[in-house]
Amino acid sequence: MRLLSLSFSLFTFILLLSLSQSHASSQHTNNWAVLVCSSRYWFNYRHMANALGMYRTVKRLGIPDSNIILMLADDAACNERNRFAGSVYANPGRHLDLYGENIEVDYRGYEVTVENFLRLLTGRLPPSFPRSKRLLTDSSSNIFIYLTGHGGNEFLKFQDNEEVSAHDIADAFHQMYEGGRYNEIFFMVDTCQANSMYSKFYSPGILATGSSVVGENSYSHENDYDIGVAVIDSYTHYVLEYMEKVNKTSRLSMADLFTSYDVPKIGSHPGVRSDLFDRPLGPEHPMNEYGLGRGWTVEGGGEWVGREMEAEKRGRGLREALITDFFGGVVEVDVDGEGESVLQLFEDLECPPVFKEPTPPPIKMYSPPPPTPVSSTSLFDEYPFLRPSLAFVILGALFAFVFSGVISGRS
Amino acid sequence: MDGPTFRLQVFLRNLSFFRPKGNPNLARINRRRALFSLIARRITILKLALFIAGYVWMLSIPSTRLDRGVYFDENALQPGQVNTYWNWKEVHDADHFLEELETLRDSNATSEQRSQYIMREFLKIGLSASTQNYEFTGLHNDINGTNTYAILSSPRVSGAEATVISASWISRMDEGNGTLNLRGVATVLALSRYVKQYSLWARDIIFIISDGYMEGMQAWLSEYHGVTQSNIRAQRLDLSSGVIWTALNIDYPGHSLSHLGIFHEGLNGRLPNQDLLNSFQHISRRTGVSVVLYDHKDEPELRWLPESIRTHPEIKTYAAQARNLWRHVGYQASGRGSGVHGLFHQYRIDAFTMFAVPSAGPHGFHSLGRVIESTMRTTNNLLERLHASFFFYVLTSFDRFVKIGNYLPSAILISVAMMFGGLQVWVDAAWTQRLQEKPQTEGPARWIRRRRPVLEVVFTMLGTHLFGAATFSFMSSRRYQSLSSAPFFLCLAVYLLPLVLPTLLRSHSNNSDPPSRALVLKAFNLCLSSTVISIITVLNFSLAACLAVALGIPLSIASPSSNQAIRIANYSFYVVLGFGWVLLEETTKQMIWNWDVLGVWLLPFLCIVYFPLTLQAALVCII
Repeated sequence: MRLLSLSFSLFTFILLLSLSQSHASSQHTNNWAVLVCSSRYWFNYRHMANALGMYRTVKRLGIPDSNIILMLADDAACNERNRFAGSVYANPGRHLDLYGENIEVDYRGYEVTVENFLRLLTGRLPPSFPRSKRLLTDSSSNIFIYLTGHGGNEFLKFQDNEEVSAHDIADAFHQMYEGGRYNEIFFMVDTCQANSMYSKFYSPGILATGSSVVGENSYSHENDYDIGVAVIDSYTHYVLEYMEKVNKTSRLSMADLFTSYDVPKIGSHPGVRSDLFDRPLGPEHPMNEYGLGRGWTVEGGGEWVGREMEAEKRGRGLREALITDFFGGVVEVDVDGEGESVLQLFEDLECPPVFKEPTPPPIKMYSPPPPTPVSSTSLFDEYPFLRPSLAFVILGALFAFVFSGVISGRS
Repeated sequence: MDGPTFRLQVFLRNLSFFRPKGNPNLARINRRRALFSLIARRITILKLALFIAGYVWMLSIPSTRLDRGVYFDENALQPGQVNTYWNWKEVHDADHFLEELETLRDSNATSEQRSQYIMREFLKIGLSASTQNYEFTGLHNDINGTNTYAILSSPRVSGAEATVISASWISRMDEGNGTLNLRGVATVLALSRYVKQYSLWARDIIFIISDGYMEGMQAWLSEYHGVTQSNIRAQRLDLSSGVIWTALNIDYPGHSLSHLGIFHEGLNGRLPNQDLLNSFQHISRRTGVSVVLYDHKDEPELRWLPESIRTHPEIKTYAAQARNLWRHVGYQASGRGSGVHGLFHQYRIDAFTMFAVPSAGPHGFHSLGRVIESTMRTTNNLLERLHASFFFYVLTSFDRFVKIGNYLPSAILISVAMMFGGLQVWVDAAWTQRLQEKPQTEGPARWIRRRRPVLEVVFTMLGTHLFGAATFSFMSSRRYQSLSSAPFFLCLAVYLLPLVLPTLLRSHSNNSDPPSRALVLKAFNLCLSSTVISIITVLNFSLAACLAVALGIPLSIASPSSNQAIRIANYSFYVVLGFGWVLLEETTKQMIWNWDVLGVWLLPFLCIVYFPLTLQAALVCII
């Protein structure tokens, strides 16, 4: 009897330990995306295409329209100069219409202002605003924020008359942190001198990446000679191209994304900032290579703020950041356009057939690798209340058992 | 003691050692006086240096040291980034139109018949089209004709803005000497049919076939913008569109073309925004058609230079660029512009002429159509009027230009030299050497102040300008046209003037002495000329440069002489300099035509400003 009770308590202890450890790592219950194209006018077609390309990707990976805030400062699809009215393409040859049939632009045209963007982030919107224009996040939301437009050192131009500064965004993030509006943020920006945009952040839980270092331009990738303008920016193009390898169940880490940056192809030096971010970006092997090798002319590796903290983070045994932590969805989703592989769009139809196969159906599994073979943690992710209640029940049972043993021993 | 403070005090004490003793205000006044006297003592050298610097600068404008490559400033333009679909079907259309136009030409069709044909074709294509009759009254009442125009409404937006594609019936070949622009007209017709297929035009496109060379477009444009030119009687336009932003004028006089030439100078020295020209040359070269400035497709021949110098690349470039510049100065200074496009600039429309340089090949409708299509797509991308690039520039080649800061100072330096000269003379006029009563007394000459006769000199100058105005009104009258000997009468009048004027002056003011009067007149004349040149530099640099050359040194060296023969020779020189152009019958006729029909202000400027200035210098020599 005593042996049995001891073994049971040991088992429960191990279970609790494993639970508490996974609790200390990223715990998010919902994913959000804020995608902003801040520049207007026909010749900035590519910025619209950037944001729409990102929109398509996050939607494909499982964030529903209700959780995506798409801000487009201009309507390139319906511009009178658009030869292909009602469509936006991100690749020469126009294989995939990003505007398509199922798209929800939440902020459009002159609604895309610095004020609206900051109000959206901080949640200080007038009561008249509909739910579709609100970022209804909580302290367990992971938010992916993508900005594209014309920018400079520590600013991004909105429309043609105002700028958001790096300080503004940093302060907005801190308000979000104080207000418990996020669990983690992944901030990505594609503009000239983009890395300056994340340089002022000071709130925990933010992972950031940008397309170019201070003093460097970001370049457009390709023109479509029938549309008559550049259709996508280089950095976004290669990020999207990489994202085509990712599906909802993929285990690729952020390190895989960051180490896929190819400087000669992109034409600028992307940067990473992870010092505010708790978790390691990925396994040691690829991430240590970040910023080294072909094309990286920067002394001592590409710009990576928080490089020295990485080993220590890894030592803490925290779960590494996966791409699907930010791009994926953990909520019920109806997924659109699943069967179509977009790699063909980027690879001129020379894609391996494996990507042409429909990706496996969305499995409602979001499981960090368990340190001990304890199964079905995915159930906890599904039902977040389950974990505390289970722990409570077990703890109660243990106490009851121990105390009953003591009582029985006395008697 | 604290180190830095101590050191500072020592430094200040040392500083005060250099400071002059006594009243600081007095010291300042003395310093300023010393500076002025320094300038005054060296004023002749300073003047000379400024003149030399100005002229040398002017000569070095065509060199590659002062110019730079052109670049695009407007992001929206996106030149040469489209596929063009103008193809052999469209070329066939153009050939068909050309055939019919040639039939019309051979049958000696009137303007009316021609315009009816063109309008019918526009209507067949499905555009709204109309014609406009016009005639000029007054001096040139023999000018009349019929313009034809059609408007393609922008398919997807309201037509608040418009682009013009035009061709004049008469080509700019030999400055509009009568060569017909049939292929240009055929191109516009074929183009109108072609662009009708597309729905991507962000603004209305107006196709204009203007009659005559410049006059038809002048009538059309003034009517379109509601400007009343008293001597035009033009029909109201039935169709209207939005604000015109850009205009392309197509001129294709030959049967094939080897290069496309850029002609860009507008009326009264205005220039189109450089972005337009840059985009065009970029597009054209991408399409495979070479671009030249004007019709200079061959390198200038420098037979008179020895072989080694002639073949030197720097010299060759200089010669080519100098030839372009010379042509530019001719077009800009004359105020007439270099073609029909020049008329658009007065309404703030950026325009230029694509001139198909006649040749045996290799290009034709096919290449030209592609270039125009791509250029139209580029102008279609504009979101606002062209404003980013330069309006003040000198093109030394189709892809090189001189910025305003690199050419403007040349004329300004000369103008400054003249101003210094004028001020020096003004100071000199106030002093005279006292007649020495006791010649045996040694010592420096004694200077005394004297009165400067300002008012009578101002009246003299006013008189010369009034005389100029009278000359102008006579020249722009019908009598001048009918009287073939009128120029000689005018010159005679100018020669007779000194017989009247000085006697008038003398009879009025016996008490002032002539040398002082001549000096004051010279001072005023120099200052006025300097001011005129400075002002004209920003309006019409070429004209200002011409003025700086014509007036700079001649006006500065004008001085009275005691010798009667020299005085008459001097006087004649200044009269020929200022009024000699009247004897050139063709030039005068052209200038009168330009003033009367197009409103070019060169003639009134020459009569009322330039000629009186030289006349004042001439008077300096004889009073």
